[in-house]
Order: sequence, then C-alpha cells, then structure tokens
Amino acid sequence: MSDIRKWFMKQHDKGTGNGSMSKNSAPEKPSAEKSPPGNLVQEGQETAGRRKTSKYFATNKVKAKEEKVEEVSAKRKAQNAGGSSSVNEKPPAAKRIHKAEDDDDFVLPASAMGSRGATPAKKSASGSGRGSARKYVISDESDDDLKDTKSDPKPTGRGRGGRAAQTGGKGIPLDESDDDASADKDTKSGGRGRGGKGPSAAPSGGRGRGGGGRGGFMNFGERKDPPHKGEKEVPEGAPNCLAGLTFVISGTLDSLEREEAEDLIKRHGGRVTGSVSKKTNYLLCDEDIEGRKSSKAKELGTAFLTEDGLFDMIRSSKKSKSATQPESKKSVATVVSPAKRNSQNTSDGTGSTATKILAAKELTPSASPAKRKGQAKESSLPWTEKYRPKAIVDIIGNKSLVEQIQRWLESWDEHFLNAASKGKGKKQNDSGAKKAVLLSGMPGIGKTTSAKVVSQLLGFQTIEVNASDSRGKADSKIEKGIGGSTANSIKELVSNESLGANIGRLHHQKTVLIMDEVDGMSAGDRGGVADLIASIKLSKIPIICICNDRYSQKLKSLVNYCLPIVFRKPTKQQMAKRLKQVANAEGLQVNEIALEELAERVGGDMRMALNQLQYMSLSKSVIQYDDIRQRLLSSSKDEDISPFKAVELLFDFNAKNLKIDRRIDLSMSDPDLVPLLIQENYLNYKPSSVGKDDDGLKRMSLIAHAADSIANGDLINVQIRRYQQWQLSPAGCLSSCIIPASLLHGQRQTLEQGERNFNRFGGWLGKNSTMGKNYRILEDLHVHLLASRESYLGRANLRLDYFTLLTKKLTDPLKLLPKDEAVENVVDFMDSYSISQDDFDNIVEISKFKGHPNPLDGIQPVVKAALTRAYNKGSKSRVIRTADLISLPGIKKAPKKRVAAMLEPLDEGLAEENGEAIAEDEENSSEPEDIDVEKKLESDLQSLNSKGIQVNVDLKGAGGKKPSAGRGRGSSSSREKGGAESSSKRGGRGSGATKRKR
Amino acid sequence: MLWVDKYRPKTLDKVIVHEDVAQNLQKLVSAGDCPHLLFYGPSGSGKKTLIMALLRQIFGPSADKVKVENKIWKVDAGPRTIDVELTTLSSTNHVELSPSDAGFQDRYVVQEIIKEMAKNRPIDTKGKKGFKVLVLNEVDKLSREAQHSLRRTMEKYSASCRLILCSNSSSKVTEAVRSRCLNVRINAPMEEEIVNVLDFIAKKEGLQLPQGFAARIAEKSNRNLRRAVLTFETCRVQQYPFTNNQAIPPMDWEQYLSEIASDIMKEQSPKRLFEVRGKLYELLTNCIPPEIILKRLLFELLKKLDSELKHEVSHWAAYYEHRMRLGQKAIFHLEAFVAKFMSIYKSFLISTFG
Repeated sequence: MSDIRKWFMKQHDKGTGNGSMSKNSAPEKPSAEKSPPGNLVQEGQETAGRRKTSKYFATNKVKAKEEKVEEVSAKRKAQNAGGSSSVNEKPPAAKRIHKAEDDDDFVLPASAMGSRGATPAKKSASGSGRGSARKYVISDESDDDLKDTKSDPKPTGRGRGGRAAQTGGKGIPLDESDDDASADKDTKSGGRGRGGKGPSAAPSGGRGRGGGGRGGFMNFGERKDPPHKGEKEVPEGAPNCLAGLTFVISGTLDSLEREEAEDLIKRHGGRVTGSVSKKTNYLLCDEDIEGRKSSKAKELGTAFLTEDGLFDMIRSSKKSKSATQPESKKSVATVVSPAKRNSQNTSDGTGSTATKILAAKELTPSASPAKRKGQAKESSLPWTEKYRPKAIVDIIGNKSLVEQIQRWLESWDEHFLNAASKGKGKKQNDSGAKKAVLLSGMPGIGKTTSAKVVSQLLGFQTIEVNASDSRGKADSKIEKGIGGSTANSIKELVSNESLGANIGRLHHQKTVLIMDEVDGMSAGDRGGVADLIASIKLSKIPIICICNDRYSQKLKSLVNYCLPIVFRKPTKQQMAKRLKQVANAEGLQVNEIALEELAERVGGDMRMALNQLQYMSLSKSVIQYDDIRQRLLSSSKDEDISPFKAVELLFDFNAKNLKIDRRIDLSMSDPDLVPLLIQENYLNYKPSSVGKDDDGLKRMSLIAHAADSIANGDLINVQIRRYQQWQLSPAGCLSSCIIPASLLHGQRQTLEQGERNFNRFGGWLGKNSTMGKNYRILEDLHVHLLASRESYLGRANLRLDYFTLLTKKLTDPLKLLPKDEAVENVVDFMDSYSISQDDFDNIVEISKFKGHPNPLDGIQPVVKAALTRAYNKGSKSRVIRTADLISLPGIKKAPKKRVAAMLEPLDEGLAEENGEAIAEDEENSSEPEDIDVEKKLESDLQSLNSKGIQVNVDLKGAGGKKPSAGRGRGSSSSREKGGAESSSKRGGRGSGATKRKR
Repeated sequence: MLWVDKYRPKTLDKVIVHEDVAQNLQKLVSAGDCPHLLFYGPSGSGKKTLIMALLRQIFGPSADKVKVENKIWKVDAGPRTIDVELTTLSSTNHVELSPSDAGFQDRYVVQEIIKEMAKNRPIDTKGKKGFKVLVLNEVDKLSREAQHSLRRTMEKYSASCRLILCSNSSSKVTEAVRSRCLNVRINAPMEEEIVNVLDFIAKKEGLQLPQGFAARIAEKSNRNLRRAVLTFETCRVQQYPFTNNQAIPPMDWEQYLSEIASDIMKEQSPKRLFEVRGKLYELLTNCIPPEIILKRLLFELLKKLDSELKHEVSHWAAYYEHRMRLGQKAIFHLEAFVAKFMSIYKSFLISTFG
C-alpha cells in the first residue's frame, strides 16, 4: 500500500515539476500585484494565491511562498481595515484552524481565504449568507483575473484584471465565469486539488446534463415516461446545496426520470429515501397520485416540492455558490503551513469533526507532501487493517450477533469444561449449547474481526487457522502426538489441555481457535471438515468457524455441530458513518451521501469500501458523489456482468460515451450470448444518433447496416469456431455487437402489444434447437419412407415437395369422407409408406405454420380416435416396417445402430409356423426365384433376430402384393404371435421416441 | 401409393422424359462396367430416377433389395474420435448415402467411411461384376475438404468401386472431381414433356385431364417434374373432375413465403421486420432450407417490384445468399436481406411518392 502511495506521490512531484514554471512566476506576481492599490490588488493577490495552490506547492518551497503570501496578506490587511475576519489571518496556522471551527461550512472557506488575505469584505459577506449580486460580480472578476494571469503571467494579468473588474462591475459575469471554467481546466491539469469548487461545479453540472439529457436511462415497464422528458435543462448547483435534506420521490416527474432525479439530488448532497417518514423534508412529485406516499406526507405535514421547485432550489444555490466559488478556491489556495497540517494530524483529539472537514478542505493533496509522507509512514498499513475495529462498539452492524458470540464464549468454559468434569450427560442436553459456532455471511462484513475482537475482549488468546494453512485430515500416527501438519496441531491444540485450558487452572491464558474460511477446505484439505467435526467433539477450547456460504454442500455435516450465526450486511447508513470516521481520521473530505453511495455500490462489503476509499484518497483529498459514482462505475467492470446488463449498457441511450475498450469488455463478457441478445433486440431501439426521422427512413437504413454487420459477425464466428481463428474474436465482437449497438443505441421501445420493455432472451437458441429437433424427426420420417422402398427421395425434397400432398392425403379424407372409409383410406396410405402414428403427428407438426389453419382442424376427435384404434389394430396384423431404435442385448448404452426393420411379420409368422406351405402358397403370387431369396433372407433374419438384431429384408417384387395377401391369410393363424411381437416392437419404438425427445 | 412413385420409370427403356440420356446410359453399361458418373441438373428433373434405373440395368433386380441403415460411425480424427451419424441405403451391390448430412464433418465421412466401403470388394458368387457402386447424393453440398479427399478415393479404388455422384449444380463440384467423372447433365424437362407425363398418368389412372389444366400445372411446377406430378395428385385429391381453371394449390411453404413477401411490401418498419423475423424462423424450424427461402422470397418480391429496383435487389439477394453459405446462422443473413430490402424499398417509395 505504501508503495502505491509513494508512486502516487511521485506523480505529484512530477506535477510540481510542471508547476515549477508557475512557481517561478508566482513570486513575481505577488510583487506585481502588491503595488496596485484597491480592489484590483486584492484580486491580484487572490489569484496569485490561488494560482499557487492550484499549481500545488508540493515541495518545500511551499513555506517560502506561504510566507510571501502572508506578507501580501499582511499588506492587504493593512489596506482593508474593515476586514473583520482578516484578524484571523495573522495568527499561526494552527490557530487559524481553531477559529475556523466556530464557523459553519460556508464560512470556513472564507476564513481560510481570509487567512490568506482575501477581501475581508467579501469574506464577511459570505459568512453572513449566500451570495449577493455584488459578490457574484466580484467572484467573476477574480476568476477572470485568475484566468488571465494564468494564461499570460504577469503584466497582462494585471491589465486585464482591471478590465475584468470593470466588466464585472457592469455585471456581465456569466460568460466570464464560463471562461473561467475553461481556464481552470487548464490549471487543473496540474492543480488537481480543488482548484476551486466553483469551476468543479461547472464540469460536474455538465456531466449531469449529459447524463440527464434526454433521459433514456432505463425504462421500467409500468412507469410512464415523464411528459416533458428532457425538455427542461437540468440545473447545476452548489455541490452541497441540498445537504441535510431528505427527499422522497413519488409518481412521475415532469421531465426527469426517477433515477435522474435521484441522481441529481444525491449529487447535490441530498438524501433520497424510499418512503415518507418524519425525517423527510420534501416529497418530490409533480402530480398528486393519491398514493401512500402522498397521504403519509400530508399526514406528517411534509412539504411538497415539484420538480421545478427542486430546480429552483438548486439554481438559487448556484448563485450563492458562485459567489462562494472564489472563496472556496481561495480556501484551497490557502497555503497551509506544514506545521499546521501536522497539528491537524496530531490533533485528532482536539479537533472536532468540523475542524477536520475544514482541514480536509484546505488540503490540496499535493499541497503538503511532507504531511503526506508523514502520513504514509505512519499508515503504511492498509486502512482495512488500520481501522479494523478494536472494540466491540467499533463493529458496525450485527450488534446482537456479536453479543451472542460474546455470551457463548463467556459461558463456554462452564458449559463444557466444568461440565465435562462434573458429568457430561446433563450438559449435553442443554439444547442451546454447542461447542462451536459457525459464523457465516458475505465477505467483508466483519466476521473474522468480530470473532477476534470478542475473543480479545474476553481475554482469549486467538489461534487463527485459515485457508493458507493445510487443514487436511490428520494422519492417524500424529494423533498419537507426533508433531506435523497444522491439522494435527489443531487436533493437538484442541485436545491437549496442557496447551490450552489446562495450564494451571487459575488465571491461565484461555485460548480460542478460529477456523477461518472453512468452506474453502478444498482438495488439498481432504477430510478436513470431518476432521474438524471430530476436533469439535473432543475439543477443550472453543472453536469459531467462519465461512461465506452456510449452505455449501461441504459444510452440511459441520452445521449440525455448530451454533449457526448468520451475519448480515450492515446498512449503508451504518457503513457510511464508519467510513466517515475513517475519512475524517485520514483527513479526507467526503460527504455522507457520497459515502452512502459507496456503501451501496460495494454491496455491504466494508473491506472493499475501505479499500476503494483508500485508493481514491491517493489521488483526491475531496471526494464527491460523482467521483465515487465514476470510480465504481469503472471498477465494476472487473466484476461479473450479466449478458443482459451488458446489452443494456451497449444499447443505452448514452452509449456513445462508452470507450471502445469498455464496449469490447461488455461484449466479451459472454461472447456467445451477447451477440445473440443484440441480434434479438436491436430492432427495438430507437437510435438516438439520428435526429428528426419522421418516416423512419434513417432508422431503417441503420437497421440494414446493423443487420449486415451482425451477419458479418456470423461469418467471423464461423471462421473462429471452425478454423480456430481465435485472433479474429475482437473483430467478431466488433461486428456482431459493437457496430450494431453503436448504430442503434437509444431508447428501447416495444414492438409487440403487451411486451415488457426489457431485452428479450436471444430467440435463436430456442429456434435452432427446435429446428434441430424437427430435422431429426424429418430424418426419421425420411428413413421410414425409404424403408417403404416406394421412393428414393431426398430429405429436402421430402419436406419441400412431398409434404403438402402427404398432409393432404393424411388429413383430407378424415375431414371429408365418412368415418370408416376415411380411416381405412388413411391407414392404407400410411401402411404403403410405412408411416407410423408418430410420423403422422410429426408430419402435421412440421407442416404447421403460425397463423395458418392447423391441418388437423376440422377433424372430429372421434375420427382421430378411430384412426388411432384402426392403426393400432392394424399394427397387430401388420408388418412393422419402420426403422427404429433397437437395443442390443448386452449393450447397456443406447443402441448405436439403427436398422431399418421392414419385417413382414405375417410372412415371418407363417414361415415359423408352417414354412413350407406358405412358400408354396407364395409361389402363386410371386416369382420362384424371389421366393428363394426371400426364404433365405428370412432365415438370415431369424438368425439375426435370435441375436437380438432386427433387420429387415424385403423383396421388392413381392412387396407390393404381399401385405394384402398376407393380411387376409394370416388374420387368424398368426394374430397372437404378431400381436406379441408387435407389442415388443412398439416398446422399442417408444424408447426411440423418448430418445428423440431428448 | 403416390403417383410420383407409382409411375416412376423402373428401367431405362421405360423412361419418358430423358429418353436420349437413358439410351446412352444403357449403351454405356451394356458391357457390364461403367466409369464414375456425375449427374447434375435441377431438382425434379429425374437424376435419381435415372440412377436407380441404371443400377437396375447393371445389377438386375437385386439392386432393389435395399435395406436402410442408420448408424453411427466412429471415426478417428487426429486426437479424438468423432461420432458421425449417417443413413445409408444399401443393397448387395451398391450403397447410397448423403455425406453432406454430416455437416462440417463430411470430410471424415469421405475419408473414412467411403474409403472403407470402397475398399471392400463385394464377393460375387458368379465371379462377375466385381465392383460396387457408391451413390453419393448432394455432392455440391460437400465441403471443399471433403471433395479433395474424394478425388483420391476415386482414383485409388477405381478397380473395385464406381462412384455415382448426384448434385444440383456442377459448379459447386470441384474441377478435379468433375474431370474424373463422366458428366451427365439432366435438364429440367420442358413443359410439354411434363404435360406428356401428366397425360400418361391420367390415362393410366383413367382420369380426364383437360389440356389447359395440365399446361397450368406444368407452368406452375417451374419445370420440376416431381412437383408437377405431386401437384397433379394434390389437385386430384382436392377436386375431381378437373376443370380448366381449377385452382392449383401452392405448396404450403410457398404460400407462407408469398405472405411474407407481401408483408414486406406493405410496410417497412422495425416492427414489421420483427414480425418477418418470426415468420422466417417459422419456416426454418419447419425444415425449409434457408437457401430455398431466400430464393423464393426474392422471386416473390420481384413479382411485385418496380423494374428499376429489380437489379439492385437481386444483387443483394445474391450477396446474402453467398454469405449465408459461408455463415452458420441463416436467420441473420435472411434478416439482413430483408432489412436491406426494406431500407432500399422505403427510400425508393419516399423518393418517388414523397
């Protein structure tokens, strides 16, 4: 940590290197400014002073300069006799601070300024209240002056300053203040410390406008859009103008989305809560929707505030703020003596929080490297360690749980040790008592800390074992006492009274074992949990187990032996409070709203919050709401981001502000899913990049572009997947995600009635699998048709050409003809093409189009049932001609081989029963040679059948005639046999069907 | 049985449509041997019929004793084994298969399975006809790699094995393979020929077929004989006796596509595009090949389009068809085409009609 700090400091030094120029000029300026009397002089001084700060007097020269300034201020003081607070200037820095304590926030900068030698008149004015017009002017002058001096060091500086004064006097402040902002930006590059609050307000306001603009933030389905969305200019005001005020937002606002309004309020230091309570200052709503909030508010007498009212509030603050701007700048500019700084740091006790705030305000991070360094030395520890709670009161949240641990630990000895000596039986029955506790909860909420603090409080010596120690199952040898791995030492520790509790029964050092991260017992710690349980059973010291996920599979057994204590997240207010303390102690200025935001963003993880805060403290000494927002926005990229979120961000109304890196990150968050989501949803976005587009032409052409780009992405994807051209993946995500999104990002709108306004899940996956299923079905059908050997058609032709007719042939008779005739007709047709009942359904299914009449419409259920019956009946006497899955004996796995079985069971049955006779019979109907072959094949078939393989063989010549003949003939003799066989085969088919479904 | 199958010529001398080709083939195999053959021509022109008739000519009726087999082949592909599922239709003397069914693994089908089959010389008791015929369907859909593997197989096992390749387009078969085969082009039958066939069937079935109606079926069939016969039978199911101006039912998917086309023509908006996407998905899930969808959609659109746009639209259709074949997710390309069309057509409408 300290390294990082140093590194940052180096940067500052570099910065000062930059600033050395200004340093050179700085001394000159005061001299120049000193000479002219009156206001001008003052201003010049102010700017000089300010300039110094903004150029961060990082080095030792600070002192020298400060002296100079003080000289100046001294002179000034002489000039401005009326300066009441200028009295404050003279005393040493340390004193100054104490003075400042008395003042409120607004006065503070003033006094600071005064100390440096600002116009006393102004100071007092600002002290009294928010800016009057005059002040405003003055401030602008000074700003302008500042700019001038900056852009062109000394002589012009003065001259123009004069001019500025004049124009200021005429009261044309606004454009100048703009200039000022720009000028300040220049200076800011070097002088990062609040070069001035005023200018910083401007950029932040600008950001606000960008964010607020047209408000495509996120549309929730049910909430209406604001009626005048984006039509009003969102005002910018002083950063803390709403400080201490609590708002509740209700209903639809006039021009702001709710999130924007919330953002606006928070940015200006206000607090937004969800429901009305006594503490609520304002209910923000534009229409009285008679909801619960408004009625509650009326009950409590809460003031109602419209959006315009809010804007006015903010705007008015801006005016006064702009008056205070220079002051604050000056306050920053105050060159605080290192001595004073130290006093600040050391005077933790003496200084109230107000002092600290003041101090922090005055701190430009670079202003006192010395102090920084000092700090770095004393706090080389990360804050998480440095501010780890040392007493129970320091622990935030979970108070009752901590007490519970405490009670448990206190009573442990009597429960178990003494009980053990007295007699186990009784104590074991004590339901509440378990020998170990299991603390669970998400990371960073203080489980380990609580355990340690409580233990220390009760005078236990803690032994912590965590995932970095080996915690495997102890070898049996070692149980006997041979030292070795930690696991064994644990066991030893736990069981050996001499080590722990037993050393002299008097005032011995008690021991507690903290098993941290028990759910992290992984492969390396084989049998760890079981061993731990064993240890708990025979333990003579308390054991505290800590885990993140209590419901983890690994811990199932452990839970039974432990008293479960679930830690909850501290509330954001609790966290903010603690963070504030830390920030104060570190001399960091943050307002509470910002900290609450931070607490919310890290999701209750105190450790992460502290780390973030510390990290931010390296670059800034004053942390604003916006800083935190941005910081965490950029840090959140390291977290998992769901594809939906990614798509939402890519398509966001303001997505044009995203950097390409960020976009790539987003689309790479799931390189398979994000493009599909994009493809599914890109039509729904109304591109914000096109302006007026009444006929939708521009949008259409953008869509065409996007579609083309998505298609490109598909091509690239093929290259990547098929030919392993992974180097193309950035290009792929560019064309499949980024280009479409950047063309069409905007506001989402629904295309279908009743659709929710959220991104749909990519439809392709589902459709593709349906398509795959249908192709398999089609292939089955195809095989069946081929097996009928009436046709040699290809699969594609089957669907394209045959299906219309097939459907007609199968369904039309059922609709038109009388029942019996129809059924007979259809069954005959199905037989001739060996179409099974399943196939029938499949054909209908595949030739069904949405929005078209179902081919089955108009068929009476009776008829359908009759068909099924007839088919099943027929199948008893009929050949199973279809190819299906057949399981081979001895092979457990799904059959690898599908054989087309075109058995003619009648023949088979007859052949079995009275083979010769039939052969003779058949001679009548078919050619002799055919019969020979047929018989031979049948015998083959039987031998195959005996092996459990179904094969079929059929003779083309005989095939056409035989079924009918056979059926007629064999109806009585072979029915049973055929029936039995067919049923077994039907079983086979059934399995085939299930297979397919899978 | 369907008429298409019922009246399919079983032998070369019964062929009505491509009589000359049939006679030549008959002469070709009269010696009991034949070179590798490549049949190509549009769908529904009679390639398959000729091939089967040819096989019967060579092997006699045993060519009809086929069994259908659908099995999974285990193929060694470098470090891993790949399961390739393939349906084959085989008799003692020939095996028919569609290697392109294996998708992008067709290479392994050609390298391993076909080679395996080609190697095994059939044992013929009579000692003659010591070769076996492999009928490969849809050769044009084979990947380039597979076709390259194929040419080696063709040469190496030419002693024991003849390949009969069947494809819709010869241009998609590599030069190397084409030059190793005797190319037989099967034209789409002329409309008069189709009418003749329909007459023939009508006579056999004892139906009265008005000439005008037959001509209309022939015209509607787009010179696809199979479709003509199937349509003819569909009409028969629908209405008999025939009248001259009887409605000819379109194929279900064609009808759906023409609805899509009119949807597109009516309105060009994201909403409509979204609906069209849904309908295209519907077609795809109903197993209509995307190429066919695109082609048909183009035809339907061209029917209704102003002539000045036809060229451009056709260009884009070709462009997206090409890319569709390179790509994998057909819907993306179909949608891109529709979006492009909408964009073009919309700007056209606005510039013309304001």
